[in-house]
Amino acid sequence: MSRTVEVTVLSAENLQMNRKPARGNTFVTVHSDASTDAGAVTKVDSEGGSYPSWNEKVVVNVPLHARFISVEVKCKTSSSSSLTGSNSVGVARIPVSDFIGGYVPENQLHFLSYRLWDGNVRRNGVINISVRVKVPERSSCSSSSMSFAAVTGVPVAGNGSTGVVTGIPALWLNYQRNP
Amino acid sequence: MGGCFSDMEGGKQAVGGLGKGANAQNDAVDFFFRSQGFHQMFTQVELSLSASSLLDRDIASKSDPMVVVFAKKRDGKCEELGRTEVIMNSLNPEWIEKISVAFHFEIVQPLEFHVYDIDTKYHGIPTKTLKLGDQDFLGMASCTLSEIVTKRSRRLTLRLLEKSGNGGPRNLGEITVHAEETVASRSVVEMVLRCSRLDNKDVFSKSDPFLRISRMVESGGYIPICKTEVINDNLNPKWRPVCLGGHKFGSKENPLLIECFDFNSSGDHVLIGKMQKSVADLEKLYKERRGANFVISSTSHGKEKVLKGELFVDQYCEKEQFSFIDYVSNGFELNFMVAVDFTASNGNPLHSDSLHYIDAHGRLNSYQKAIMEVGEVIQFYDSDRRFPAWGFGGKIPDGTVSHCFNLNGSPGTSEVAGVEGIMDAYGSALRSVSLSGPTLFGPVINMAAQIAGQSLTSHNHTMYYVLLIITDGVVTDLQETINALVKKSDLPLSILIVGVGNADFKSMEVLDADNGHRLESSSGRIATRDIVQFVSMREVHSGQISVVQALLEELPEQFLSFMRSRDVKPLSQPSHFSQASTSSIQ
Repeated sequence: MSRTVEVTVLSAENLQMNRKPARGNTFVTVHSDASTDAGAVTKVDSEGGSYPSWNEKVVVNVPLHARFISVEVKCKTSSSSSLTGSNSVGVARIPVSDFIGGYVPENQLHFLSYRLWDGNVRRNGVINISVRVKVPERSSCSSSSMSFAAVTGVPVAGNGSTGVVTGIPALWLNYQRNP
Repeated sequence: MGGCFSDMEGGKQAVGGLGKGANAQNDAVDFFFRSQGFHQMFTQVELSLSASSLLDRDIASKSDPMVVVFAKKRDGKCEELGRTEVIMNSLNPEWIEKISVAFHFEIVQPLEFHVYDIDTKYHGIPTKTLKLGDQDFLGMASCTLSEIVTKRSRRLTLRLLEKSGNGGPRNLGEITVHAEETVASRSVVEMVLRCSRLDNKDVFSKSDPFLRISRMVESGGYIPICKTEVINDNLNPKWRPVCLGGHKFGSKENPLLIECFDFNSSGDHVLIGKMQKSVADLEKLYKERRGANFVISSTSHGKEKVLKGELFVDQYCEKEQFSFIDYVSNGFELNFMVAVDFTASNGNPLHSDSLHYIDAHGRLNSYQKAIMEVGEVIQFYDSDRRFPAWGFGGKIPDGTVSHCFNLNGSPGTSEVAGVEGIMDAYGSALRSVSLSGPTLFGPVINMAAQIAGQSLTSHNHTMYYVLLIITDGVVTDLQETINALVKKSDLPLSILIVGVGNADFKSMEVLDADNGHRLESSSGRIATRDIVQFVSMREVHSGQISVVQALLEELPEQFLSFMRSRDVKPLSQPSHFSQASTSSIQ
């Protein structure tokens, strides 16, 4: 059993390579600690230098027993053209509990930032991502994935009720807005 | 969210084009005053500043000037209105950051302009946090606002003087102030600009280009409105997106002067080329995927020489950017929550030197003052006026120390009605709860976050929460507070910490990420946005800042950063892009 998680890799800040600002050709891999597949890879950013931006959505499978997803920034080495020739710039391990559980509805869009650590466990920049847990949906009524309109969940009955609603995928708000 | 440029050298960063919240904070203050009956008594005016022949205070290079504008109150006290950016190595600076002033027709408003040389070691630090006493004074000038506004050119040049007020034998240079009425506009244009084949101006390497965009003003001349960051050693540079608000460029047809410079750390930036283009022209360049050639004034013929360097617009998009007022006047609400410090450091409430002492003659103590003054402003944005109110660090009637108990003593709801309700609950809690400790913020922050998180389901993003924590001292659990704050930075929640009493609140300012560093938890998670603001009542009462100003300074921006990141729009959209330049408040 696994969940489908959409991770939008937004940008990174202040990346260093050999104690100098990184010069570009960076990309990001995303995978969960417990899954056997290779995870997902973004395109290469060649313009941002030490402040790259990707704005790319990748989908990863996160097994129910997974505790972390790893987001790693890598730099393509100049000698090779394939993605296999690359150096690690920094990695962040993101606890699954940062976007699943808690008091926020299940498929809420989360904007998250993490410190990146390099191979010598030194701080190396910051990565910004957004995360949304895909809640199983039956029909085609899910519209756009990034837009606000896709926020689901039904209002809790009565005031002051603390009953947690676990993401019932009824697109109630959409129906209300576009009758 | 100012962390992006924290590592760059001060002079190389972009100014004015980063799409930061337009003039939202003034809007919010303005709106509050208008609602209090100050109708139509003033208009917002924007001051643009430039100077010439400034004094050179640096030995190896030239001065790095910044202007601070003050309004002189009737009692002779000065209230700071704003600061420009620091321009590196320039004795003839033209500042881009504008200063907003409310122009009251019927009042004489004396202004003072203080020019400082900012020491290199302070570069890259937000100018707002600079201590002026540490900086070299370059001169001051004063005038009244009406003197500038009544000039036909809306422009006034003043001689800079010593602090003592006399000119002395030395020439300290001049400052020019230009005033323009603020245009309310929701439209924003975001562009990605790129150049190709720029001329090389450096000997040993390639040019380090940046762009400066200026707007032509009615009375003639140009006022700079933004500059891009510097890209080192590159003749085909592509800059980060430039975001120009409609209030900056005026109309789409208004001519803009676009200049490309080679950055020099000495401050003598060399002009590579220039061109005149309106926003509409730039849009056309984008649509036709065409470049436009830079020109340069030729010295010999007085004619313009066309250069091979070209400007391209790689991306162009017009957006409607809603202001704080657009949201709160269309069904969005701020919900106010309050938490009061019951730690023993406040002093025994029965003694008159205690911060919790309730005066028999009705004189308010520091906590009551803070609740009244802050509550008065915030409740204006909260329609049901039911506020959850908690205490922390006190021993409750059952004998245990609680770090989050209901102020009204009820085991069920923590909500009380109105500011009076908070005052009553506070008074009764003082009688039933004994002061204890330590000072922990974690539990009240978590409680507030829980309410804010649940509202995402039940209220569909239309609720935003403001937790007011009033405290007399420094938190015991600083790292845990930081961890809690980082975790909550993704919720519709802002936290306002008001410090009362005379403690040293230095460590509280760490929580307020104003110094450009985002908060970092011990696990390496980083705050998505700044959600904390710290205000010391001492400063508010000494009259350096007004309560309304202090409160509404960061709140609208924090609110907007949440709404915009999720693309949440006001419920009924007030107007269309094409009509967006009309006034926002009717």
